[in-house]
Amino acid sequence: MISQPGRQPGSQRNSQEGAPQGLCPSCSAPLQTPLACGSCGVLIDVSHDEPSPFAILGLDVTFDVDAKDARKRLRRIAHKVHPDFYATAGEQQLDLAEQNNALLNRAYEILVDDVRRADWIVRNFGGPGEKDLGCMHQEFLMEVMEWNETLDENEPGSDEFQALEAELQAERKHLIESIRGYLTPLPDPKTPEGALALKDVRKDLNALRYIDRALTRVSGLPAPL
Amino acid sequence: MGYIELDVLDNQPKRIVIGIDLGTTNSLPAIWSNGRPEVLRVEGEPALVPSVVHIQEDGTAIVGRSARARSLEDPEHTIHSVKRFMGRSLSDIDQADLDRLPYQVSETERGLVQVEVRGKKLTPQELSALILREVCAQASAAMGGAEIMSAVITVPAYFDDAQRQATRDAARLADIEVLRIVNEPTAASLAYGLDQRKEGTVAVYDLGGGTFDVSILTIEEGVFEVLSTNGDTHLGGDDIDAVLMDVLKAEIGEAIDPAVLADPAFRQAARLSAEKTKIQLSSSPEADLTLSLPEHKIHVRRRITREEFDALIAPLVKRSLDCVRRAMADAKLAPSEIDEVVLVGGSTRVPLVRSEVEAFFGRKPHTELDPDQVVALGAAAQAEVLMGGSRDILLMDVTPLALGLETVGGAAEKLIQRNSRIPCSVKEGFTTYVDGQTAIDFHVVQGEREMAADCRSLGRFKLSGIPPMAAGMARVGVKFHLDADGILTVTAKEESTGATASIEVRPSHGLSEEEVETMLEASLANAKHDFEQRRRVELIAEIGTMLRHSEANLPVAREHLDRESVQDLEEAIAAAKAAQKSSELDEVQAARDILDRATMPLATVLMDSVVKEAVAGKRLGDV
Repeated sequence: MISQPGRQPGSQRNSQEGAPQGLCPSCSAPLQTPLACGSCGVLIDVSHDEPSPFAILGLDVTFDVDAKDARKRLRRIAHKVHPDFYATAGEQQLDLAEQNNALLNRAYEILVDDVRRADWIVRNFGGPGEKDLGCMHQEFLMEVMEWNETLDENEPGSDEFQALEAELQAERKHLIESIRGYLTPLPDPKTPEGALALKDVRKDLNALRYIDRALTRVSGLPAPL
Repeated sequence: MGYIELDVLDNQPKRIVIGIDLGTTNSLPAIWSNGRPEVLRVEGEPALVPSVVHIQEDGTAIVGRSARARSLEDPEHTIHSVKRFMGRSLSDIDQADLDRLPYQVSETERGLVQVEVRGKKLTPQELSALILREVCAQASAAMGGAEIMSAVITVPAYFDDAQRQATRDAARLADIEVLRIVNEPTAASLAYGLDQRKEGTVAVYDLGGGTFDVSILTIEEGVFEVLSTNGDTHLGGDDIDAVLMDVLKAEIGEAIDPAVLADPAFRQAARLSAEKTKIQLSSSPEADLTLSLPEHKIHVRRRITREEFDALIAPLVKRSLDCVRRAMADAKLAPSEIDEVVLVGGSTRVPLVRSEVEAFFGRKPHTELDPDQVVALGAAAQAEVLMGGSRDILLMDVTPLALGLETVGGAAEKLIQRNSRIPCSVKEGFTTYVDGQTAIDFHVVQGEREMAADCRSLGRFKLSGIPPMAAGMARVGVKFHLDADGILTVTAKEESTGATASIEVRPSHGLSEEEVETMLEASLANAKHDFEQRRRVELIAEIGTMLRHSEANLPVAREHLDRESVQDLEEAIAAAKAAQKSSELDEVQAARDILDRATMPLATVLMDSVVKEAVAGKRLGDV
């Protein structure tokens, strides 16, 4: 019997937490990223034990991340691991550069996006997944139904849409602030309060997913091809 | 012109890597030389290589300018705009577009587009390989015969996986090692950034012959970082031509015979007339669309004003601006936050395009760089980076479309979002759906739509050998890796029992590995024949030029040369004329060499007389 794949419950995209950076295996200089040595330039294979996105950029796990600083780190590390610089270095080095640059890109994208960063923290602290039951605010569902009505009954560019966009943006800001509150300082998942906080963050994240989709509709952007 | 640097240590010529813009209408090679990119062209000849292939009666192909020259007299055997078919199946192509083609297309058993000409079936990959070879031949000639083996080739940023794979396969068939596939707008930004030495946020609007791309980037301290990209791989100059062709058809009227519409001669003449009118309208306020086909009693002349033309193409320009809006939204930027706008592609010469882009961003776009050359120049700069020439430049690009898997119920589960940075890897866990399931079918899709059926199908593969267990117990790890070329590899492993299997995906709209191998063998076998044909054609052209000069100057020869020399020359001329019709390279070569020797005494006389004329009437001091 063959069928389409189903999503594996509780599957995690990353499982490691922030780790100390350690020393370069080649020249023993202290590492700023586990992917490559800033001193001797050697690429380091981390496929057996993938570092966390925070560790990759040399940061501690926190909800708040300085986007400008993260960008600087991304560029500095990209200059060490980008495959462009390994085009003539042989297949093994090129593959390693591909692998490490992919890890770097993904780490950066998680770290500079409030929603993805919060999602990563909830998953890796053992919190509920996005499809777990009971992770939706009841009162939010009522609001959603009202918004849907506005979306269905009006045209992009109308006053109603503009008012709704402002409302959605305000709600979005409010939810991000709520998440920041739950995750600062980071909750201890072993305590009942911590587990509850993670569940609340998941509820906020699920609400945000809806808001972001509604915002795309409100923007009046042409649908994707 | 360029020369080859020699490595003193091993006496091997340095590996030459060029940048190639493989365009819908024209293609172009460029190289990094003396600290800047430069177009590779043969002195005295145009730089652009028309992306046109003509199949001659004997089945051999001619490519480029000489092929385009045949397009009007022999449209049925002259193939243009093949890039639009790369990685596409026939069902992907609009019927209206097919109706405008002067050549025949059909599909392979697996639904791939192929062009049928003189009983030969050629895939877009094979035709593109012929164009790439011609481009390399020009590059090689421009560098005094150096052999080209490696290249950076550009593709539209909005090309999907199948289209990128097809481009890579074309290069393989042309025996070129592809060092990197680079997105056209990214390459353009590189050329622009290096040339203008500007930094900031840049929008590249690239409207070519068949494709449209927009990319939003930041340029900062040598780092070229793409924030977002959007586009339409089916929007370009060809579509503007099509609008004017429709005007022509309307002008001819309802009564037109369907057989005429299907006549390749009609289609080609209408296309070329539309293209000519379009180009005229870029510089004049009005132009005439004309079509004259006496054999069909068609004589049409229709005046088109710029206003009318603008109204006709406004929907096309709007489509491009819709893409720009999406790209801006993804980059989370407002038009006022864009510091510079760069126009790329021949179609950005259309005044309405320029004015609408200017209105959208509220600033004048840059046009200092030739929009036909900027992409190839950027590709050459990227080639230099890849060869280790510079660590000061770094391109960071993104993937244009989301990538995912079809899950139960037909939904597309997206593993990689659009505008993710590349290279990029994502692992995701999947499991079985029913008890005792021993295999899982994976369907890899690309696109933004929610349902897999609405996305582009990249390929299907089956992971079998899963030990029977309860539903949901199997742990299948699927890994998507997008490399720096934007090309996807998918691997899957059943992890719970240690039983593993991994599969790599070839796109369902591409060539299989065996097909590429077979074509490669065939083309290698043909390579010598192709080369000889090419050389023969060049020699015949050369003989033509030599004959014109020597025949025109025969009276001079008879006046000034001894009888023996005149007789040699006359015999050589007769032999050369006969050799022009020969299909044997050796004969043509011998006739050319004999003619060359026989014209030497004449050349000496002519040189002397030129010098005498130049000196005549002048005092010694003036000379």
